[in-house]
Amino acid sequence: MNIKSVLESLMFAWGEPLSINEISKILNLPAHSITQILKEMMEDFNNNEARGLIIQRFGNSYQLTTKKENYEYIQCLLQNTVNKSLSTAAMEILSIIAYKQPVTKVEIELIRGVKCSQVVKGLLDKGLIREAGRLDKPGRPTIYATTDEFLRHFGLSSIDELPSLGNILENGEEKKAT
Amino acid sequence: MDYSVNINVFQGPFDLLFHLIEKKEIDIYDIPMAEITDQYLEYLKQMFQFNMNVASEFIFMASTLIEIKSYMLLPQKETEEDPRQELVTKLLEYKLFKDVSEELKKFEDESSFYISKPREEMALTSDVKTEQLSLNEINIYELYNVYLSLIKRQNFKIEEKEKFKVYRENYRVKDCMDDITKKIKKFGKVSLFSIFKEKESISKEYIITLFLAVLELSNKQGMKIYQDNTYSDIIIVGS
Repeated sequence: MNIKSVLESLMFAWGEPLSINEISKILNLPAHSITQILKEMMEDFNNNEARGLIIQRFGNSYQLTTKKENYEYIQCLLQNTVNKSLSTAAMEILSIIAYKQPVTKVEIELIRGVKCSQVVKGLLDKGLIREAGRLDKPGRPTIYATTDEFLRHFGLSSIDELPSLGNILENGEEKKAT
Repeated sequence: MDYSVNINVFQGPFDLLFHLIEKKEIDIYDIPMAEITDQYLEYLKQMFQFNMNVASEFIFMASTLIEIKSYMLLPQKETEEDPRQELVTKLLEYKLFKDVSEELKKFEDESSFYISKPREEMALTSDVKTEQLSLNEINIYELYNVYLSLIKRQNFKIEEKEKFKVYRENYRVKDCMDDITKKIKKFGKVSLFSIFKEKESISKEYIITLFLAVLELSNKQGMKIYQDNTYSDIIIVGS
């Protein structure tokens, strides 16, 4: 059995991000060695200019995607699609959750000054956030955190790839100055 | 999920305030409260004019602005905190996350250049052959026959549901309300204890019904309820 070959087939067949845990169960190999093999494969794919596919990591999941450089050609095949991007309210709430997680609805509402239940429910339905337990405080409010699907949606390998709040604050100041 | 159409509609009171501050090129650390409050209220007025559903949060912010504005009119001791401080802190925090969401947006746009394919509908081909029925081909009689054959199977037990008892209501809230209303019309006010005393024996059910009637009357018809001490008599006065 050639592990790399199996992994490529698995990712092709599954299409969606495939978790390390899942692969580990199928191949009966420890997660860390699969992570290592996938890391090698990512380099192989990315460095091979003749290939049209790359492997992307989103948290603990891996997915085959096309190369960014080929987008303009793929575009010719695409129908005019409905814009899949999120609403402004959804983006603001996701931003707060991404940086303050785990976070309660009340904390989100305090920052934005408006109710957010409806949008939070929408984000849960889309799988971009998850309920990460309850806070040990009166009322035991639910706390929310981002998911691997969140990482995929924004093309992030891990949450650490987000720019730091300090950087964003500085950029905001600069914009004002100019 | 999100059917709300957001065309130049503000995400919330902070968003609107920020818009006003940026438009006027105001220094956020020294907001002219009178000016900004006027502008804010003017905008709210417009929202009402266009018959937009103005959320209570916007009105709450209006009252906060007016409160701060009136604080500013009072002579201030130097040691006191600037009454605008809390608002500014909140505004800046909101602004930070608004900037964050714009950053995130860039990531979202960038990620759309990578195409992946959705999961295939994969199923194992099993040895057991099952008949595939297309939904279009099934009519109601076939469905009925399938239902009958399912029911006739020996191992198919339909659980007998426990019977649900419906008790007759001895007292009704509506009747108690009418009773109290009549008494109030006659005497102007009614003591709850005196109503209890009218009956030779009273059941728990009657007490509960009567209490519900009193609450209902104060809620729906604006009757006032008075009680001097805990556990003492309750007096109901007509509105």
